[in-house]
Amino acid sequence: MRLPSLLRRTPFRLTLLFLALFATAASAILAYVYIASAAEARAQAEASVQAEADILLAIYNARDIDALNMALIERISRSGPYVYVLTDASGAFISRNLDASPIDPAPDTRAGQWGTFRLTETDEAGRVERPQGLGVDYELSGGEHLFVGQSLGDTEAYLMRLTQALWAAMGMVLVLGASGGLLISRNVERSMARLNKVVMAVQDGDLKARAEVRKSGDELDELGQGLNQMLDRLEASMTSIRHAGDAIAHDLRSPLTRMRAKLEVALIDAEAGKVSGTDALGVALDEADHLLKTFNAVLAIARLQAAQGTPDPVRFDAADLASDMAELYEPAAEDKGLEFGAEIEAGLMIEANRPFLAQALANVIDNAIKYTPVGGAVMFRARRRSSGEVEYSVTDTGPGVPEADRERVVERFVRLDNSRTEVGSGLGLSLVVAVLEAHGGRVQLDEGPGVYDGFGPGLRVALVLPPAPAGV
Amino acid sequence: MRILVVEDDADAAQAMVRGLSEAGHEVAHAVDGAYGLLEAQQGGYDVYVVDRMMPRLDGVGMVETLRKNGDQTPVLFLSALGEVEDRVTGLKAGADDYLVKPYAFAELIARVEALSRRRETGGVQTVLKVGDLEMNLIARTVHRGTTEIDLQPREFQLLEFLMRHANQSVTRTMLLEKVWEYHFDPQTNVIDVHISRLRAKIDKGFDRAMLQTVRGAGYRLEA
Repeated sequence: MRLPSLLRRTPFRLTLLFLALFATAASAILAYVYIASAAEARAQAEASVQAEADILLAIYNARDIDALNMALIERISRSGPYVYVLTDASGAFISRNLDASPIDPAPDTRAGQWGTFRLTETDEAGRVERPQGLGVDYELSGGEHLFVGQSLGDTEAYLMRLTQALWAAMGMVLVLGASGGLLISRNVERSMARLNKVVMAVQDGDLKARAEVRKSGDELDELGQGLNQMLDRLEASMTSIRHAGDAIAHDLRSPLTRMRAKLEVALIDAEAGKVSGTDALGVALDEADHLLKTFNAVLAIARLQAAQGTPDPVRFDAADLASDMAELYEPAAEDKGLEFGAEIEAGLMIEANRPFLAQALANVIDNAIKYTPVGGAVMFRARRRSSGEVEYSVTDTGPGVPEADRERVVERFVRLDNSRTEVGSGLGLSLVVAVLEAHGGRVQLDEGPGVYDGFGPGLRVALVLPPAPAGV
Repeated sequence: MRILVVEDDADAAQAMVRGLSEAGHEVAHAVDGAYGLLEAQQGGYDVYVVDRMMPRLDGVGMVETLRKNGDQTPVLFLSALGEVEDRVTGLKAGADDYLVKPYAFAELIARVEALSRRRETGGVQTVLKVGDLEMNLIARTVHRGTTEIDLQPREFQLLEFLMRHANQSVTRTMLLEKVWEYHFDPQTNVIDVHISRLRAKIDKGFDRAMLQTVRGAGYRLEA
């Protein structure tokens, strides 16, 4: 990873930002510690110098200059921590533990004033140091001046060590922060690169690309998982669209081909003056109507699947719809020579789209009538299940659907081989399933009453709907 | 009958004008809702046939304006492949009937004629008479000549609709929509079976069959 590209990366930029913030905060703390420590050291030095001066002043006031001088000499000989300078009124030294030279610049000796000065000291190793000193000058009643001071050398050394420690700590923080940031940034970078690769692959049309998801469960893995789920759904719907598209093309091709052939034959015949062409046109119109029906069913299924829920739901009694459908289809069944029975329980409130549900029932009942041979029976029931769900069922004594094919027949355009001769789009049951799914219900296919007298085993199609929500 | 066709698609409009003219009607054409309104103001039309999707003023807007202006001329609404909501919005706007494109001409003509007839027979009737067929709407009895005909409730409704539209073609879809009040594709011609049962009751044993099948369209009850 080259630096310019690194600088553009969000994690690294964030790391840098935080480092800068941290360094600023650390500097502020350092400055505060330094200033506070220095002030504290100075205050302590002042207090101890003041205490020493107070003792010496008390000696002078109680006795005289000589007694003070004696006390000073005694203190100087003990080599305490203080610096003393006692001068007479003319400014000549009386006693001191310090040559004038080491004090540079000479302390400001105005009476009652605190001043700073530089000392010249030599440590054990022979190195010359010039620590700062702090002292106070008093003008005594005889015109003499007493200066008491103290070296701040220890304090300075402490502050120096403190500063060094703080700088070192800050340096470590910066190095650790920068390397940690780099590490995190590279880690995030790698995860992002993995996700990016997937996105690029999908952009290039590879819907099979999936992000590698680790078990860490962090946000990026969640993002990866989300991306994968999204792609799964996308791929599934693309597949279903492609499948539907293929199926539509397949199902519309034969009627279109037939229609074209018939029109062509009609044209030839009409040109030859053999026929008027009216009959052929009539057949072509029928084919066109069939095509339109197929389109309508495809459109209805697409709309139901896109609707995410029941379109325009209305609350009504499922029993009324059942009675209407039974009444509508009974003559057709009887005309074909089928026995048609209806058992309808009263009071089956549901919330549904009435036209769509009617269409679904029509498709199921029509199938039953169509596939049941003459002499058979079709039984239509509407009842409430013990679960509270409302169930419409249509049972016939036709050939039924083998168990292995039951899942398949509800797919779009699937028509079992033995039904190829019947008129139909192959969308009937798919539409039923789409209607029921849009209503939060389901379609169940079971065997009918079984084989008897050459009939059966039959098919039982149940449309199960959730009951209408309570209230209203 | 004078019909105003309001349709922006030139081919569709031309076909409609021709089809309706050949059925013996006088047809005018407007290219969108705004022209449609202007033309409607001339007055004298028996039915408006209005497309839903049009530039400038669409069908819903045009019908709403017509009704607001007090024009109660029957309106047949047209729209592309069946959207349930379209039918609802169309009828709510004030349309009287609704037809989904593409349609058979027979369906269009039958519906247009049914609409115009509806206006003529406005007012409450208690007895319907078509030829020697007589229906008493209060007593709910039907006689042909002196013979009383016993009908199931649905057969009664079916015959009532046919009698109200006597001498007109009515299509199977119209019957399903107006008599059963359902909007769906019944797959098989369930209506035909109901008609043949009704026919057996009103025509069997009489010299002349009143309930005629109109090829390619539907049925017609002839006086």
